[in-house]
Amino acid sequence: MRARISELAKRLQSREISAVELTKAYIDAIEKLNPTLNAYVHLTFDTAQKAAEQADQMLKKGDAPLLCGIPMALKDNICTDGLTTTCCSKILKDFKPYYDATVWEKLKAHGAVLLGKTNMDEFAMGSTSETSCYGAPLNPRNTNYVTGGSSGGSAAAVCANLAVYSLGSDTGGSIRQPASFCGVVGLKPTYGAVSRYGLIAYGSSLDQIGPMTNSVKDAAIVFDAIKGGDRRDQTSVDYDYGSSLAESLDRDVKGMRIGVAEEFFDGINPEIKSKIEEAIKLIERNGAVIESIRLPALKSALPVYYIIACAEASSNLGRYDGIRYGYRTSSYASIEEMIVKTRSEGFGDEVKRRIMLGTYVLSSGYYDAYYKKACLIREEINREFDAVFEKCDVLVAPTAPNTAFPLNYKGASPVEIYLSDICTVPVNIAGVPAISVPCGEDAKGLPIGMQIIGKKFDEATVLQVAHFYEQSAGKVIGDYEGGAGI
Amino acid sequence: MTISKTEIEKLAKLAKLSFSDEELERFTAEFDEIIAFADTINQSIEGGTEEIRNVSARMVSFDDLRPDEVASSLPNEKILSNVEGDNGFFSVERSKK
Amino acid sequence: MNYEIVCGIETHVELATKTKIFCGCTTEFGGEPNTHCCPVCTGQPGSLPILNQKVVEYAIKAGLALNCKINTKSHMDRKNYVYPDLPKAYQISQYDEPLCEKGYIELDSGKRIGITRIHIEEDAGKLVHENGYTYIDYNRGGVPLIEIVSEPDISSAEEAKEYAEKLQLTMRYIGISDCKMQEGSMRCDVNLSLRKPGDSRFGVRTEIKNINSLSFIRKAVIAEAERQADILDAGGIIVQQTMRYDEGTNSVTPMRDKENSDDYRYFPDPDILRFSIDDEKVEEIRSSLPELPFDKLKRYVNVLGLPEATARLIFRYRKVAEFFEGALAEGASVKNTANLIVGTIFSNMDTEEEKELFTTRISAAQSAALVKLADEKKINIGVAQSTLQKMLESGKSVEEFIKPEDLVGISDEELESLCKEAIDANPKAVADVRSGKDKAINMLFGYIMKKTGGKADIRKAEALLRKLIGQ
Repeated sequence: MRARISELAKRLQSREISAVELTKAYIDAIEKLNPTLNAYVHLTFDTAQKAAEQADQMLKKGDAPLLCGIPMALKDNICTDGLTTTCCSKILKDFKPYYDATVWEKLKAHGAVLLGKTNMDEFAMGSTSETSCYGAPLNPRNTNYVTGGSSGGSAAAVCANLAVYSLGSDTGGSIRQPASFCGVVGLKPTYGAVSRYGLIAYGSSLDQIGPMTNSVKDAAIVFDAIKGGDRRDQTSVDYDYGSSLAESLDRDVKGMRIGVAEEFFDGINPEIKSKIEEAIKLIERNGAVIESIRLPALKSALPVYYIIACAEASSNLGRYDGIRYGYRTSSYASIEEMIVKTRSEGFGDEVKRRIMLGTYVLSSGYYDAYYKKACLIREEINREFDAVFEKCDVLVAPTAPNTAFPLNYKGASPVEIYLSDICTVPVNIAGVPAISVPCGEDAKGLPIGMQIIGKKFDEATVLQVAHFYEQSAGKVIGDYEGGAGI
Repeated sequence: MTISKTEIEKLAKLAKLSFSDEELERFTAEFDEIIAFADTINQSIEGGTEEIRNVSARMVSFDDLRPDEVASSLPNEKILSNVEGDNGFFSVERSKK
Repeated sequence: MNYEIVCGIETHVELATKTKIFCGCTTEFGGEPNTHCCPVCTGQPGSLPILNQKVVEYAIKAGLALNCKINTKSHMDRKNYVYPDLPKAYQISQYDEPLCEKGYIELDSGKRIGITRIHIEEDAGKLVHENGYTYIDYNRGGVPLIEIVSEPDISSAEEAKEYAEKLQLTMRYIGISDCKMQEGSMRCDVNLSLRKPGDSRFGVRTEIKNINSLSFIRKAVIAEAERQADILDAGGIIVQQTMRYDEGTNSVTPMRDKENSDDYRYFPDPDILRFSIDDEKVEEIRSSLPELPFDKLKRYVNVLGLPEATARLIFRYRKVAEFFEGALAEGASVKNTANLIVGTIFSNMDTEEEKELFTTRISAAQSAALVKLADEKKINIGVAQSTLQKMLESGKSVEEFIKPEDLVGISDEELESLCKEAIDANPKAVADVRSGKDKAINMLFGYIMKKTGGKADIRKAEALLRKLIGQ
């Protein structure tokens, strides 16, 4: 039975258990399981213990926030002052930022206890977390399979009870897809709802940080704590959500309009299709109205995503040249050569592929045909989503067209992997919020995730529908036995 | 369309990356496939016709821009904390064996 | 062979804002290396740029002062290239939606040099190469710049210098930059090509960088025009390249390639929102501009009647002009005020810098009080000059140095009443003057001189007497 934030908070606040004891339980579990699972790449046990002691002080005073003393993890692309942050890349080896990401500042103020930084695809580029320079994390549900990516370590940590919650980042599905592969909940907020200051950039107009948890309510609690405008991120929005989203999750779905677009179901695994349909029927039986809708622009979503994300990435990653931080090659004849060698030795293959694609689509002669065209189609996709949300409150779709891949799946070309992002990528392009919740297992026992997509800044409805489904559907996947037992 | 080796070398130069001959062989094939994949946008619907000015539709008004007030900079040791600085400077040896 | 010079100038001006363009670090000059820095201006992973409002305001001021159209919607683009002084491997600049466009600078001849565009961008850090190492200081990284691009309307070395001079003066006047070429707060790159007179096509052009003063601009244009003419005369072709001007040898030589003709892959910066400014705000900014320098010069000459040479000495420093106008506002005369400033006050100031700052220990009003005494002929010019010098050295007002007893000459009212007195006291002389015996007026002069101890202004007295007598 996996820990939930509110239950733990109650036990901490009633002093039934101390933050120090709770943290120790997680530290012991990590020491036991992480060598196999490889969910964490940097451990911060000293920091965690000190934070737990401080949390106990806060708890003693009474009136501590819900998240106070709760052990958690951060994806390794979120900057933590004085703590190693590498994006799981050789080129950021030993990099210690001297500033905190805004989300981490906020969570620290809530008394969060950081256990460590989690494994990920290098620079968040990938869908399996296998491009990590630290080797892939393993799916706790079946260690012959991948966790998904790029926030694979964050998903695995939460799934295996090695963290109560974690933060991931999502540019084309990197929170939602690993959440679905590992059978946990993952929320990608509206673009701009959470500050990107301190998130090491991949696709600047697509990236968002979000919670990965064991329940929808937990996702709401964490989102409440990290959301908000930030003067250090001009793209962030100080949206007035009114009250706490975690406290207003209960809502009757009667009369709600649920949009189902056939474009999301094109070519997906039939097992997945049937589980999603089952879930939709459940919601319908409770009074929701199912609307069949069309989103024809989705057909171009994948190349649009890759063009825009890689263009931005090729520019964002230009700064890794060994001069101010990170890895620097040891022998060279000129500074120009130093830079080329550092980058060629420091970056992995997938990162290089995406930098090259990004350079190509921005280069003179190709800019109009690729980058500009992709931006124009992006606007079209946005318009289609806007139109659809006039008729629907939320959309329901699969999170991924497949369940977890086997590890080291040979024969999958880069493009084949890109194609598996089909269900998640349109959401980032449109900048709307979406959550993935477990809704079943396939014949191999691997989790299946369902996506609930809402309109901009309507995380409230997305969370409400997800919460309703979670409560009504009951147990949809098997329990993970292991990890911190408290 | 097949991308030529010269074009890839040109891109690599811009991206400040270098590939061995064997890597270049393998890479060119993969890159071809990726470009063909990117090319599929040309089969799709027309987008709008305006110039793209910014990927986000939001605008900010002049009045909401950051006021010109000095915030304290960080101390030199922090700025250099991830390298071996030299008298307060970032330094790179111009060539090294 | 006679060739036509076709020349355009690209000027980078460092804006005198307090903070950098995308972060709150100070733009103060100097400082120990890497002490005016933060994650944003050193391109740390995860950092994000936040645009400075004053930078936009100053750029708009520049645009208005140069007669440009202001784009009320604008955005920033990334210019991607790799060089150690550029921490993010891209410079945030503006490519296809510059803040200001289509302005001009008018030369003395009346010819207008077009200004194509003005855009905002960030400066790079500083590199020092020594002992086999390259050292980098990012204090200057992120300092705001405007780039002002002229049309290729310049046709001579003199015009090039004049354009740059007028640009410099205007930018200083509106207070957005100190535009010191030697310090790098104003940098000019000259583009030059030649063509046969009457040919409408453009020849191949070269770009000359590293010009450190206004007079070197003129020399560089001459040197490069000569170099190109020699090549063309010999039947050769001009190679498009970047050149540098060498002051020592007064020659233009090819520069070693800093960057090859890179493809900059411009695209809109996704971290910076597109920004807009409304027309009322632009008008507000326009009305906050001081009188522009060349409008002022015209007014000094045409309306105030100052001789052009004197006018030029005063108008070119905004603070001097303000001081001058302040004295006039207190009733001081144009001619005397101008001469005392240019004569006495300037003799205490050796450098351009001092005249720019124009720190004096006395105010314009104090100056005016002195000048008026000279205007009224109560003191002569020599006394005025020496008193002014004493005032400048001590900071004390004129009353400290000139007591009522020292006043030479008498006031107009006094003179008038004396004249009336003289007329009343000498009726026969008055009658004689009226009947044509003009010499009789000397009696009246005598009376007045006796009464004033010889200090009266005879010409003024004569005019008054004749008026009162009725001739």
